[in-house]
Amino acid sequence: MPNTKSPARRVSTYRIVQLVLGVLFAGYLLWRIYVVFIGHPTYGPDTWARFLISGIVLGSVYAVIAIGYTLVYGILRMINFAHGDIMMIGAFGGYFVFEAFKAIPAPTKANPNLNFLNAQPIISVAVAFLVGGAIAALSGYFLEKIAYRPLRTAPRLVPLISAIGASIFLENAAQLMFGSQRRDFSNPTMLTRGNGWNLHIGGSTVILTYTGVLTVVLSIILMVGLYWLVMRTRLGRAMRAVAENKQTAALMGIDVDGVISRTFIISGALAGFAGVMWGVHLGLVYFYVGFLPGLKAFTAAVLGGIGSVPGAMLGGLFLGLVESVGPGILGMSFQLADVIAFGILVLVLIFRPTGIVGEVLTEEKV
Amino acid sequence: MKRQLHLALNAGITFGIVTIFLFLIGFTGISGALLADLFRNKNANPFLGLTPIMLNMLIFLALVGLWAGVSGSRKSKGQEEDPWAPALLGGLIAGLVHGIMVGLVALLVGTLNLHHVPMNIYLAALLPAAIKQFLLALSPNQGALFYLGLFTLTGFLGGLLSRGVGRGVWRVRAGANWKTTWDNFNQITAIKRARSFRYTDYIIYGILLVIVFLIPLVAGQYWNYTIGTVAIYVLLGLGLNIVVGLAGLLDLGYVAFFAIGAYTMALLTAPTPHHLMWSFWIALPIGVVLAALAGLLLGAPVLRLRGDYLAIVTLGFGEIIRLLSTSDVLTSFSGGPRGVPSVGGPTLFGKPFNSSIDYVYLIFLAVLLIIFVTNRLQNSRVGRAWEAMREDETVSRAMGINTLTQKLLAFAIGAAFAGLGGALFASRNQFTGPEDFTFMVSVNVVAVVIVGGMGNIPGVIAGALVLKGLPEVLRELQDYRVLVFGALLVVMMLWRPAGLIPSSRRKMEERKDAGVIEAPQEGREK
Repeated sequence: MPNTKSPARRVSTYRIVQLVLGVLFAGYLLWRIYVVFIGHPTYGPDTWARFLISGIVLGSVYAVIAIGYTLVYGILRMINFAHGDIMMIGAFGGYFVFEAFKAIPAPTKANPNLNFLNAQPIISVAVAFLVGGAIAALSGYFLEKIAYRPLRTAPRLVPLISAIGASIFLENAAQLMFGSQRRDFSNPTMLTRGNGWNLHIGGSTVILTYTGVLTVVLSIILMVGLYWLVMRTRLGRAMRAVAENKQTAALMGIDVDGVISRTFIISGALAGFAGVMWGVHLGLVYFYVGFLPGLKAFTAAVLGGIGSVPGAMLGGLFLGLVESVGPGILGMSFQLADVIAFGILVLVLIFRPTGIVGEVLTEEKV
Repeated sequence: MKRQLHLALNAGITFGIVTIFLFLIGFTGISGALLADLFRNKNANPFLGLTPIMLNMLIFLALVGLWAGVSGSRKSKGQEEDPWAPALLGGLIAGLVHGIMVGLVALLVGTLNLHHVPMNIYLAALLPAAIKQFLLALSPNQGALFYLGLFTLTGFLGGLLSRGVGRGVWRVRAGANWKTTWDNFNQITAIKRARSFRYTDYIIYGILLVIVFLIPLVAGQYWNYTIGTVAIYVLLGLGLNIVVGLAGLLDLGYVAFFAIGAYTMALLTAPTPHHLMWSFWIALPIGVVLAALAGLLLGAPVLRLRGDYLAIVTLGFGEIIRLLSTSDVLTSFSGGPRGVPSVGGPTLFGKPFNSSIDYVYLIFLAVLLIIFVTNRLQNSRVGRAWEAMREDETVSRAMGINTLTQKLLAFAIGAAFAGLGGALFASRNQFTGPEDFTFMVSVNVVAVVIVGGMGNIPGVIAGALVLKGLPEVLRELQDYRVLVFGALLVVMMLWRPAGLIPSSRRKMEERKDAGVIEAPQEGREK
């Protein structure tokens, strides 16, 4: 932080204020937890289980998007503001695959009205994810090439403004092209939203949806794969080297531009997968679908310590849980779940900009 | 030769994608209508079976084709001589690729349309009528061939234009910077002498001012409303200009202060929900002060953050304010999603403001006041401190500037201006509600400041006129306004990061080390 150089007295005042506020907030939180769970329990265990499930599902989607932010930030030290809109493009990709397969007839003797989507649900879902990821990856690649690469050496605010412009452009292009109505994601019948395994908790049934399980499993696979890619492969090593220091990496024979391009392709693909997950699980696509998840995933990335891949995963899960459980614990209206998310963003950035797992920021990176 | 081919291919594909994109967002049809308005030939007789709109669309598409040819016949790197053949070939190939791509799309879309496939369910712009217009009422095959021919021809002509005819002269002319022209113009002795005369500028400004003040008298109700909106954006832009342009702090939640001003005015003067019914002249300063206080409160913890984090935190703050005003939680306090109706207006010497002209003049006066304040601030010790801070925070601290205080000051003053704008806005509209305070407002204001020229008063006014005024004049473009905003932000950052009218200090910096616009210390980080 820049104020490490200011007179020691002022720093300590700031720290004391931080501490007092932190203790007050923690006390309030503990008191609320006591009230909600022991004092006057508002919800039964079944409701909490529902919150928990939806939080984990949402959190894993956030985590996948957040990784994209973190990868790009780690390498370029810039916030890819258009990341959420790349996710939207991926969601539209998946949507169109489902619509196309729905239109292809695949009649069998038992069911002459069957379409390809329901005849081959596994292939359909796989193709939807692949197409969504591929289109998003392509958009990520071109986004970097057109809007960011020429600004690589510019001061920090310049690429950020360019990114905001790109985000607005993508949203409105999608609105003009696809129209502004909200569209229903037509899942295969096997994956109908709301269907799932029934769990018996506290005397009532809680549904563990198939789409939710698919989302969580897929995001775990993606995260493990990405971790392996960053830590074990040649490209991952090059990425880490470029993140550490571009000039030195270039001296070591790494093609810096190529690595940055590939980083954008990877982060775009992740966003695309997340978009299709979002569509399959929550069922809505429209031009603005990426904005809020994008912002929240950025929150998650900051929460976990931006630049760190495990941090983004943790931050995503944490944010998803807070968003679904938070209003219940704090006794607030569920309309204000987003306010909690943004409140956390503001608080974390103010009090601990390095995040949970945050790296120690050197002067250069600050 | 090989490089030229590569270049031409690239240009062809790029322009093919752009043209198809324009078709998919329905812009081709709109371009026809727009040009028809411009040439005033909307009701002309059909020519060769083509309606005026189609003909105008073809003019637009031909221009795109020419551009493709010009860009495909650019001189490739390292090419010494300036021969005809590569240029013509480059233009031809770019045009051919362009034509093939657009032709294929026309064929596909036209055939699907012939079989009555309802494409507009998925692609909103592809209404049967629009497709028919794009195909010029021809069959899909003919239409596709027509576009192939059109773009090949225009591409070839583009090649001819760019290097054949002009032999480079053309390119020099086209590439000449208007800024240099302006500078040359200023070198003329008579103009130099006139400009050095102290009062010339004042006389020019005075005449401009009189003209601006006369406009509302002749403009109708609708135009006065529009002028008022543009002027409010000038106000907001000038406020944000202090934060972004002078102090170098990117604030993406500027709408929050605008909302605070508007809501203060609304809640204090409206009959519902509190029945306070205070006077406008009391509510106005309260709104300004509250917005400034909010700026201080938010700024105190947040301004320690560095640039991009600050942007996100302010964005989060803006969203929090909007979500709170939309939710039911605060309905009893601030009207909730339905907003606050019948906000009070000002009375002056016992005469209530009810015509739109009164409000325009009120807003003009506020803008003048703000211009005066900004001008004085900018050239004061504080303004110089802000600019020093923007350029290099560490050095400015070493020079004895208390950066935190200065940042807070900039933030609070910017917020106060937004509060003033919000209060006037709410009073003028006689209504305020959460719909007025979306993230897009913040983006619009940022765009106004950046497109116009950061840290520069005429720049901000120009930005507001271009971004808020122009779309009102070109009503067909309404739907594309925000799209163009986004594209403009990117393009401005790529080509003119200092804005349309760069501030004089920035111009000097640019001359000193071309390319580096802001803090050179940050710029070095590669």
